Amino acid sequence: MATSATTLEPAPPQEAPRRRRIPRKATTEPLWVRLLLITIAVGFIAGFLLMPLFIIFKESLLKGIRVYYDALENPHAVSAIKLTLLTAAIVVPLNTLFGVAAAWAISRFSFPGKRALVTLIDLPLWVSPIVAGLMFVILFGRQGLLNSLFWSGGKQVFPILFEPAGIVIATLFVTFPFVARILIPLMQAQGSAEEEAALTLGARGWQTFVYITLPKIKWGLFYGIILCNARAIGEFGAVSAVSGHIQGLTNTIPLHIELMYNSSQMEAAFALASILSMLALLTLVLKSFFGWQAERQAKEALESTP
Amino acid sequence: MSDAVSSSIPYRRFGNRTILPGFHLSLGYTLIYVSLLVLIPMAFLVAKVFTEPFAATWAKITSDRAIASYMLSFGASGIAALINGVFGFIIAWVLVRYEFPGRRFADAVVDLPFALPTAVAGISLAVLYGKNGTFGEWVHWAVGPEAWRAGWATANSNIGVTIALTFIGLPFVVRTLQPVLEDLSTDIEEAAACLGATRWQTFWRIIVPAILPAWLTGMTLAFGRAVGEFGSVIFIASGVIGRGEITPLVIYTTLEEGLYSQAAALGAVMLVFSFLILVVVSLLQAWNGRVTGSASV
Amino acid sequence: MSVVIESIHKTFGRFNALEGIDLKVETGELVALLGPSGSGKTTLLRIIAGLEFPDDGPGNIFFHGTDVTERDAYERRAGFVFQSYALFQHMTVFENIAFGLRVRSRATRPSEAEINARVNDLLGRVQLTQFAKRFPNTLSGGQRQRVALARALAIEPRVLLLDEPFGALDAKVRKELRRWLRAFHEQTRLTTLFVTHDQEEAFEVSDRVVILGEGRIQQIGSPAEVRANPANDFVRKFLGLDDESELLIPSPLHEGSRARELDAV
Repeated sequence: MATSATTLEPAPPQEAPRRRRIPRKATTEPLWVRLLLITIAVGFIAGFLLMPLFIIFKESLLKGIRVYYDALENPHAVSAIKLTLLTAAIVVPLNTLFGVAAAWAISRFSFPGKRALVTLIDLPLWVSPIVAGLMFVILFGRQGLLNSLFWSGGKQVFPILFEPAGIVIATLFVTFPFVARILIPLMQAQGSAEEEAALTLGARGWQTFVYITLPKIKWGLFYGIILCNARAIGEFGAVSAVSGHIQGLTNTIPLHIELMYNSSQMEAAFALASILSMLALLTLVLKSFFGWQAERQAKEALESTP
Repeated sequence: MSDAVSSSIPYRRFGNRTILPGFHLSLGYTLIYVSLLVLIPMAFLVAKVFTEPFAATWAKITSDRAIASYMLSFGASGIAALINGVFGFIIAWVLVRYEFPGRRFADAVVDLPFALPTAVAGISLAVLYGKNGTFGEWVHWAVGPEAWRAGWATANSNIGVTIALTFIGLPFVVRTLQPVLEDLSTDIEEAAACLGATRWQTFWRIIVPAILPAWLTGMTLAFGRAVGEFGSVIFIASGVIGRGEITPLVIYTTLEEGLYSQAAALGAVMLVFSFLILVVVSLLQAWNGRVTGSASV
Repeated sequence: MSVVIESIHKTFGRFNALEGIDLKVETGELVALLGPSGSGKTTLLRIIAGLEFPDDGPGNIFFHGTDVTERDAYERRAGFVFQSYALFQHMTVFENIAFGLRVRSRATRPSEAEINARVNDLLGRVQLTQFAKRFPNTLSGGQRQRVALARALAIEPRVLLLDEPFGALDAKVRKELRRWLRAFHEQTRLTTLFVTHDQEEAFEVSDRVVILGEGRIQQIGSPAEVRANPANDFVRKFLGLDDESELLIPSPLHEGSRARELDAV
């Protein structure tokens, strides 16, 4: 405005560069609203989600790298790591096998009670981990209704409760829905036309599965395995209830973290926590990648079957 | 060949003829697995509760300590679900609708509470919101030491419980809303605009009703998960009996003390709650199907 | 209510969707925008409604002498019927039609009784009175189409814009609706533009046909004029007048449309 005031002649109306008001698209918000919402979202994610992650790494290195390594080399820490890895190594394959079998039965056949079965598979996700652990303590415990079966002379017949086996069983429970829940919708979307074609071409059942089904579901399968593995390694409540907290025998990494934290050995607690956090970050990266791939596979399936 | 014929009979009964193999094997395995891991343990928990006289059980699940724990668990979970309802919506909206640098990264980070072990999240939150932690220090400074002691403390307190439950619930709201927002056709927003609706009116009258079932589903899931949560809460909770105990913590302590029937009674209450959550979610999903006009999902 | 469009340009990235469109639609006219897919016809319609905006430059859009180029969609009062109908799934048919009245500012909003009367009148005119309480997903395609039309008419639009109004319907319903729309227009005399890729549809229903191709207007004229004197090769080719041996040549209206309907499937 100030610059145009230097000339007194009014500009010819047609030549005047029109300062246009650009209308807003009907499907978006004014710029200030968009900026405000983005700021809130990013701020919340940074403060609420990223800050805790940052704190873990900060606290673990507070006393220097030497203390960090010492914490990880402590024999109890080492045995906790071993037990956790052993648990995951047993649990993940078993639940993967279950997930594939359940998804095959549910997505390919119809039978009475199917919805109830799907609900039961979902249930462990909504049961408090403490209640999950409690169920097994009651089932195998001395006060349980089956004590004549599992106990004799004040000792367990099979070493389950307060033993690694109990930890494996509790972890099996809390992690068993993951693979099945990812695969069921994926396989339902894909349908069974290709399997049927393979069978009519003379393929055997297992050949059909290995050469047709598996490649189609592989990304979803990886995705489920990653989630199952993350939960198996990080499970705390259910394991806590059945473990008995015997150092060097039935402590997993999360239980060991709790012990260190409660005995004010913060660096040790956060050192182990940082290991699990790195695993969580790796999980996120793989999850995003497998998730995109699985989504693509499901979309392709939907598009090719009108 | 005769084998295949005879094995196809059972499912012909269910109006489903197929040449696909493995029905008996996969379903049988699934059923055995689910029975061993879920049905039997759950049945024995419930049976344990019913071996006690009903009056005794009732006394256990309505003791002052139990009631106080329900109030904290449900209250804090409810508040956390509401907070997540607001921020989860904003995050989902921003991730779906806007382009900005770092969007994909922000999208991936939303899953952090899923991926991070609960105990790890628990100790980290306890430190971060503690009196000497970054956020705790701010609050301590802002409200003053007296108010901090009087109930404004963000750790060792029920506010801390709410913070932890908000942390673990956020992804449920975001991940439930995202696909619904993505599928929402822009046609209906354009139609509303052509009919003279302002953006604000379009949001409240068109967008909100269309995503409401999914929104409530996400909040219900966050709520259900929060009520059962243990690991991320116990480090930041005060744990004071009768005031700062969540129900899972009461179960845990009674179990450690060897009070099995008490723990079992409270466990049964929480199991019933888990079933209720499942029922509510499936009702919400049926509603969602009607609102979006799609029978799927 | 006349609609005047002056030198509208629109590019998407490097693709020129519209290159200088000038068009005047007289009050009460029913005009078809006809062209192959990618010709820019839907873009032009969306620009008139304010759902898409022309490139910055000299272009203008006037509704009855008022410049609306800088107005947001919700201020233009253009009745737009979407190809997908875009009905509000969570509202009844009645509420869908009443929506445009209910969102008005308090000063201009009709009373509840007036809204009732107006919606019921529209329901009668589109022959859907008994469906007032139904939800859109319980209606047939033809019924949805009429709900969308009634909803657009409820706001007393200055101009009615229809995007492929018969595109998603089956052949028989499409035929019926065409005649019905023409009769409806005779009654209301509302300035109407509709987009179609089907020449039989355009010729049968409209007063004038605007043939769009490659982002430009290739010809404007009454159906008879266009058919008798195609302006250029593009029009000849598009109308199928090029190849003498083709079955679709001049007038056998039914054969031609059926062939195209089969193509579309």
